[in-house]
This record gives sequence, structure tokens and C-alpha cells, in this order.
Amino acid sequence: MASDAAEPVLRAEGLSKRFGGVVASDGIDFGLRRGEMRCVIGPNGAGKSTFFALLCGILPPDAGRVFLKGRDVTHLPAFRRVRMGLGLTFQTNRAFHALTVAENLETARRASARSDADDAHFRAAYAAFDLAASARRPARELPHHQLQWLEICMALRRGPDVLLLDEPTAGMSPGETMFTADVLKTLSRDGLALIVVEHDVAFVRKVAETVTVLHQGAVFAEGPVEAVTRREDVRQIYLGRAREPAT
Amino acid sequence: MMRLLRLLNGPHDLGQGRAFWSGMALLAAAFLAYPAIASSFAASNVAYYLLNIPMALGLSLLWGYGGVLSFGQVAFYGIAGYTYGIVAGNFQDFAWGTAAGAVAALLAAGLSAAAFGYFVFYARVAAWIVPILTLVLALLLSTFLGLTAGYQWRVGGIQLGGYNGMTGIPALQIGGVTFQDYAFFYLVAVVVAACYIALRVWVNAHRGQVLMAIREDVLRTELLGYDVRLEQLRAFVLASVLAGVSGLLYVQWGNYITPSAIGLQQAALPVIWVAVGGRDSLLAVAISTFLLNQLSYVLSSSGNQSALVIVGGLLVAVMMFAPEGIIVGLGRARWLRALAPWRSAVGPGRPGHGE
Repeated sequence: MASDAAEPVLRAEGLSKRFGGVVASDGIDFGLRRGEMRCVIGPNGAGKSTFFALLCGILPPDAGRVFLKGRDVTHLPAFRRVRMGLGLTFQTNRAFHALTVAENLETARRASARSDADDAHFRAAYAAFDLAASARRPARELPHHQLQWLEICMALRRGPDVLLLDEPTAGMSPGETMFTADVLKTLSRDGLALIVVEHDVAFVRKVAETVTVLHQGAVFAEGPVEAVTRREDVRQIYLGRAREPAT
Repeated sequence: MMRLLRLLNGPHDLGQGRAFWSGMALLAAAFLAYPAIASSFAASNVAYYLLNIPMALGLSLLWGYGGVLSFGQVAFYGIAGYTYGIVAGNFQDFAWGTAAGAVAALLAAGLSAAAFGYFVFYARVAAWIVPILTLVLALLLSTFLGLTAGYQWRVGGIQLGGYNGMTGIPALQIGGVTFQDYAFFYLVAVVVAACYIALRVWVNAHRGQVLMAIREDVLRTELLGYDVRLEQLRAFVLASVLAGVSGLLYVQWGNYITPSAIGLQQAALPVIWVAVGGRDSLLAVAISTFLLNQLSYVLSSSGNQSALVIVGGLLVAVMMFAPEGIIVGLGRARWLRALAPWRSAVGPGRPGHGE
């Protein structure tokens, strides 16, 4: 199962999507190595959410292809990509409020039989976020940050090869955000590949090695996080318009 | 065995714990003893109030737990009823003829639901269209059966009968037992109890949780790796087989079925029973189905022409004042829970569950 380490675990080629006259994705090329942690940033309307939806299969692309572990998954429905080893969370929290924490995780675990699944990442995150204490509570009773953590654990439950997180720290306090960043960084160091779509530049500086900047649906810049976030043109399109980085 | 009991007592229905199940056992004993004090006419009436419960429980599973409203469960009720009439009628001289009819009826309901549901759910039809499609199915079937009046519309020796319907449908016979009068009452009571217990285990088991997950968030469930289409189809087929169980019992109760049993009025009734009780509780649905059937029966048999208006008015009142359903509303009311000897395992106000 260990394919060539140089082969990207998730790869996109010329992904394009337009909605009427709006080009939301304009020929995006993208590659993610095993164990890499990549942040995708960009101003509002840069096409981050569309890119996210194209990668996981919620939207079909107008052109381009998506490869997961070397296999062309462009035409596979989202649930098949998930079964192949994609885990993801949404911008807004979508854990099942009527179910308990344990039932949420059990629902995630039993989505399908996956023989090669390794739940080491899940166990590490579950312990770090200390969710066992709330296992029997209905999810609707959890405070916001724990719900976000629960969703991350649900996405990890079946041992994905790639984890896609859409603004995982939205609505968290600075302390909770930094703690979440630490946990994600540990997961990445243990070999999990992650893509994090994020607004919070302090968070991005803390977790990412490489960062991809989207602008008007295309890749505007890509490279080491320090170098890219220092570039004047990146600051112009992103940092200048959004809130100031909380350094 | 312990696992099944734990699932049966699970949190996804009203009522848990020793006191609740003791009450249920008493209720079951009361039903068992009822024929000893009742005339066979009275027992037959109670059997009628009970026999629609499986269809209502199926709709509760599909709509209350799964978030998919079907307005046409009577179609499968009718398919099972007519199929039983045809098969049992043709083979009633054989020892196992009527039993074969019962099996064929449930198969016909399940297979037709699978075929219809495949096109609905695998096309990913928007949720609000499903009630319309299912209602159209029921109305088409009802209209078609109304056109089958001529002598040429027969299967073997059995006439479909047009708007006059199919008559002389034989009672179920297994071994030496013919399920008529008191025996039919017991058959209905046992089938209804079995359906309730099985579904209660089902909603508390994994498949039920997936169904509730889909109700809450289709996309989230799909992106955990579930094939939502398949899960919805499975629930639809199960609900339709349960509608078939009710249809099967109905044709043995009255020994006839007409197309109006599948018509618009009848199509609306299961939705009313389920909504009035509270669609996301099997127990509430079972109770409201029993009581509303009794109400309609008593009203219409006392010559009151407005039974349907009264039941429909009840639906409007419930939608306005207790949208989660009367029985579910009462069952989850805090002031009542404080008095009740049983409480939900995940209910509010229990020590150890606070922040």
C-alpha cells in the first residue's frame, strides 16, 4: 500500500468551475504529499470553498481532474472518495446534534468497512481533545469548540490518508485556536496529510510549512509560509483587505 | 441477548427503564386478557384500531426518524391487500394457500417499493418532491383499480372488481388454525407488538442512527462515507413492507378491499396519525394511531358524517400548537417528566450530564 513517497497523495490538475459568469475555480493545479500540512488562504470570494468542494466531490468540475492516492476520482461521488481515504469537516459545524458524542463517532466509524484503516491519528486526537468525558452527552449540549473537535475526530475516525478541514477554528477563542493548532501539528508530524482552509493568519503561521494563496479562483502564490505571507503582493490582495494578522 | 435488550431500551424513543417496561407488560397482559371479557364484535373493533399501527410505525421510521415524508404508503397497503386477495383466493383450497398469499403480499409490497424507491432516491430527487411522487403513485393505483370492473379483469378465479373492490377474501389459515374472531384479534396484537419491538431495536441500532444522521444533515452523512441513497431506499422499503403488513391484516379483517382504501382520503390518514402523536417517537405514533382510528370509527359508526373533518381539524390544531406532536410534547415536557417514574437516559436534569 505504500506508494512512492514522492507521488502526491492528493492531486488536482487544471480544476475549473464556473457559476454563470463567475469563474470560481480557474485551472487550479495542486499537489499534497504524505505527511504534509498545507494551508489554503485567500480573501473572501477567492474560491477556497469551491476548491474544497471540487476536491471532495460535492461539486463536479467543469474541467480538470482529481487524483486520490494516484487514482483518478474525478467522477466518483463524494462518499466513495471518503471511503478511499478522504476525511473532511465543514466550515459550519455539522455534527449530529440529536446523537450523543459516542454515537456520532460510532456513526463515523461504521460508515463502511475499511480493512487498511489505522485509527492511531483518531486515538491521539480523541485523547488530546479529551472527548471521552462527554461521550454520553448529546452533541447539542457541547460548547462550540468541543463540537469542532468532535467533528475533527469524526473525520479521523476511519483513518483517512488525507484530512480536509474548512476553517476548523472558526469561532474559537485564541487559546482554543492555538491548542487546536498544536494537536493538528502533532497529527501532521505523525504522518497525516492535511489541507486546512483558514482565515486566521496567526493560526496559519503556527501550523503550516507551505501555504497556497488563492485569488480570483486561481493559485496566486505557493511556497513556505514565512516567505509567502511576507510578499507585498500577497499582503495587498489578502492581508490588506482582511483583518490585520494577529502576530 | 443483553445487547438486544439494551437496544430495545435505547434513548431514541419515549420511555426507558424498569417502570416503563413494567407498564408495557401490564398493557400487553390487558390486551391478552381482553377477549375473555369482550364480545367477538368488540374484539374485532379493537383489532381494527390496532391493525393500522404497522403502517404508521413505518411512516414514523421513514418520516420522523429519516426525514423523508411519503404521502403514499397506502399504495403498498393496497398492493399487499390485493396481492393477498389474489393469491390466497386462488389457492385457498390448499393447506398453505393463504400463508403463501401472506408471503406474496409482503414480497409484492417490498419489491414494488424497491423498484419505485430506486428511481426516486437514486435520482436524488429533492426531499420536498418525494411526498408528491408517492401520492401520485397511490392515486394512479387507486384510479387504475377503479377501472377494473369488467369480467376480463380477473386473475385466476378472482375478480379485481373495479370500484366495488375485491370481496370474499379468505382468512389466514396456518396448520389447523383459522385466524378469525378472537384468533384474529390475537394475531393482530402479536404482529403489532412484534413490529413495535423490532422497530424500536432498529432505531436504536446502527442503521437507525444513520437514518437520523441523514435526517439531520444529508451532506455530512454522505461525507462520512455513507451511500445516502441506499440508506433511504432501505428505510423506504422497510416502511412499505410495514404498510403491507397493515394492508394484509385489513383485508382479513373485513374480507374485502376497494380502491378507496388507497384513495386520497386514506393516503392522508397515516400522515395525520403520525403527525398528531409525534413523528419521531414510535410509541407516540402507536398510541395516536390506535386512538385516532378508534375516534374515527366511533364517530362514523354513530352516524357522524364529519369524522374526517374532525380528524383533519385535529391535525391543523396540532401543527399550530404542538408541532412536535401531542404525545411527544407531553412525553418531553419537563413538568411531566418530574412526575413520571421513568425518564429518558439522555434527558435533561440528570446528575452527571451537566456542564
